[in-house]
Amino acid sequence: MNIALFFQQIANGLAIGSVYAIFALGYTLIFSILGIINFAHGAVFTLGAYFTYTFMGLAFGFNGLLAQQKLPFGLPFPIALVLGGLAAGAIGVLIERAFFRPLRMRGGDSLLTLVSSLGIAVAIVNIIQYLVGAEAYAYPMSALGGLPPSVNFGTPESPLIVRTVQIVIFAVSMIILAGLTYLINATRTGKALRAVAEDATTASLLGINTDRLIMFTFFLSGFVGGIAGTLVGLSVTVTGPYFGIAFGLKGLAVIVLGGLGSIPGAVIGGLVIGLAEALVPSQSSALKEAVAFAILFVILLVRPQGIMGRVQVQKV
Amino acid sequence: MIEFLTNFLSTYGFLIVSMTFSAMLALSLYLPLMTGQLSLASPGFYALGGYIAAWMSTELYPPLATGTTFPIPSLFVEMLIAAVACAILALLVGVPALRLRGIYLALATIAFVEVLRVLSLNLDVTGKAIGIFNIPQPFVTKIEYLYISLPMLIVCIIFMYRLERSRVGRAFRALREDELAATAMGINPTYYKVLAFMMGAILAGMVGAVSAHFLNTWNARQGTFDLSILVLAYVIIGGSRTFWGSIVGGMLLTALPEVLRAVAGIQGLPPFLTGFLTEGRLIIYGFLIALGTLFFPQGLITPEFLRRFARPPKASTPTKSKPLQTPST
Amino acid sequence: MSNVVLQASKLTRMFGGLCAVNEVSFDVLEGEIFGLIGPNGAGKTTLFNLVTGMTPPTSGRLTYRGQNITGLRAHRIAALGIARTFQNIRLFGNLSALENVMIGQHLSATTNTVSSIVGLPASRREENKTRDRAYELLEMVNLLSKADDKARNFAYGDQRRLEIARALALNPQLLLLDEPGAGMNPNEKAELSTFIRQMRQQFNLTIVLIEHHVPMVMGLCDRIAVLNFGLLIALGNPAQVQNDPAVIEAYLGD
Repeated sequence: MNIALFFQQIANGLAIGSVYAIFALGYTLIFSILGIINFAHGAVFTLGAYFTYTFMGLAFGFNGLLAQQKLPFGLPFPIALVLGGLAAGAIGVLIERAFFRPLRMRGGDSLLTLVSSLGIAVAIVNIIQYLVGAEAYAYPMSALGGLPPSVNFGTPESPLIVRTVQIVIFAVSMIILAGLTYLINATRTGKALRAVAEDATTASLLGINTDRLIMFTFFLSGFVGGIAGTLVGLSVTVTGPYFGIAFGLKGLAVIVLGGLGSIPGAVIGGLVIGLAEALVPSQSSALKEAVAFAILFVILLVRPQGIMGRVQVQKV
Repeated sequence: MIEFLTNFLSTYGFLIVSMTFSAMLALSLYLPLMTGQLSLASPGFYALGGYIAAWMSTELYPPLATGTTFPIPSLFVEMLIAAVACAILALLVGVPALRLRGIYLALATIAFVEVLRVLSLNLDVTGKAIGIFNIPQPFVTKIEYLYISLPMLIVCIIFMYRLERSRVGRAFRALREDELAATAMGINPTYYKVLAFMMGAILAGMVGAVSAHFLNTWNARQGTFDLSILVLAYVIIGGSRTFWGSIVGGMLLTALPEVLRAVAGIQGLPPFLTGFLTEGRLIIYGFLIALGTLFFPQGLITPEFLRRFARPPKASTPTKSKPLQTPST
Repeated sequence: MSNVVLQASKLTRMFGGLCAVNEVSFDVLEGEIFGLIGPNGAGKTTLFNLVTGMTPPTSGRLTYRGQNITGLRAHRIAALGIARTFQNIRLFGNLSALENVMIGQHLSATTNTVSSIVGLPASRREENKTRDRAYELLEMVNLLSKADDKARNFAYGDQRRLEIARALALNPQLLLLDEPGAGMNPNEKAELSTFIRQMRQQFNLTIVLIEHHVPMVMGLCDRIAVLNFGLLIALGNPAQVQNDPAVIEAYLGD
């Protein structure tokens, strides 16, 4: 592998890894607060990509209830991206209110929440299919405005070409990460979040409104999930209603690798898996899909608490 | 009447056999759950069993003369080999993986299923993305597969019934209730967890072997995360505290989409509803699973529910010899 | 002189930087009732966990009837005839009292896994024997009438007694009771003392028990070990321990 190719692969790995990171943060935020894994997160990711497509005023395909429909207006990609994230966040809140909160109120165990989230994922995927069909949707080339399709970081003689999309993905992910870090470490809400993650009962005794905080967490989780969906859709097209399911599974690998519930862990885990996938030699690229899961399996057997996780001491 | 029955069986033969398979797949997940282990590995073993049967019947056995059916004894051999292979794989995976608990074990088994799936997409022996097709048929019609699947299910039911009342079943349930207390009773947690995991794997592998013939083709779409979800839903919605829950859950949820389709066929429904019931079946399905956890947190079938039908337990006679004197606390 | 049943030498367990049990050595003799007392957090339950293999020791050695049991896993130790109850009661809550006690007899089975599932005649006979024995033990702790009720629905005192019945089902030679009298009034504690003595006689048991209530320990135990901050500060018969200045210091200085 020559240097230019290697550089490109690293750039690819960082770009996809940073999306993994923000996506996985969506899992981690909810896990750290409620101790549950929300399997519907992959479906919310998919929704985010479709919302952005809708807000850009693009028409749907020939199948489904909304065939050939489109909004009367079209927004530029950056605005549609943010709106898509907000809409996905709203869906996250809706899921929490309609399903998870009633389950919590009844004291259901976490296995039930898991099954419930799986049911929601199935429903969302099929709602998408019912509404807009199973075909793939691509954002138009013009989404990135006047930016050139690629940037050469080398010289004309020895080019180091990186796709602009990858740079955009990386940049947006970093902005989101910075924003989240600020939110969690430097704001009142962030402090409350950390307090609830540490011990929900004590936090509510201290006067923190746990329910509102949980809603906010679901909003944040949906927001970053939706943004991640759009970013991946921008890179490889939105491949259909099942778009987010495989990605959702990889997100699980990321959070386990980083340590369940650890926010820096999710970022490191995302980058590690992104880079590991990018460095799979192209002749065995079909095996790339297995890399994340092989890592997941091995890390669970060797160090189940993950890179940044804490060892839980079992109490007798 | 006969005509109705023939029609019914030819229309719903595929569904009825699928229902028995689902019930057994649900049992294969229920078995490790009896020891408190949430394993989603069943689809992996199901896929492996199917590939073994598909490969043996297409590559190993001589091609069938036209007009003849695949010999049933050969099918039994495939099931046996699938069972042995799954048992060995379960042992290899189970011993290290079953040290994990709760969500970690669930994730490890999801990873296991995914790794097997990607492998089957890339290996020549599994036919890569195309899979193995034209798997020979032991029967002329689909409904005849009941000759295999129904006895299998009945054996499973007897087995599970015995198991839940045996010393082994009690050890399983003790581990599920409180692993630490169970070890204080001398129960070896590793032994019983791996045992339950292997039982589930063997069952899933055997079901896979029959399914491969039943479905005629076998490819990487057979053992996926989707199936893990589905089978988990069978068990949780059916009820995870008795094996009857898995059987009822597997059968009901497999029949549900067809039932919805039949409902859509009722005359006089508004067109949008008919359309939704046919096209949006899986939406309803997903929501029913989510709502099921809310309204039937114990599942449809609970031990308490079963007790209403059970005979009163045989009046046992505690030995009256030398009852120990105790203070009346 | 009686035989030594259990011997701990320089037993130590660290949790992070904290030394929960610090170089504790003692012998438990055949047939005695051995009391373990000390303030909260002194390391008594940790010591039980070490003896029963639920927590591996950081260092030190445990011997049971001359056999080294250091680092054996919990189910192996149970198989040697060491049974225990738990401070915070750990019954199999969703199972009936009868099933709880039957599970306690797990180790006494002589038939194998396959025969037990298939239901061969030998296994069926054994199953009946197990059930009858369980009823016997339930009768002994006055719970026969509740044999088919779920353990989690039992009143607190009933749960304590069910847990003892379950431990006795192992046919142990050494029984560790972790605060069996917790939550009982002095009257009930006196009855419990009588019951414990009876158990010892009936089953030829050696008993180690953790208890906070000093009068009960003094009246019941043959010898007493006192732990404070993981250290063994006194060991002897009740009179010796009662007058030990270190013990007085530990209890009064609290």
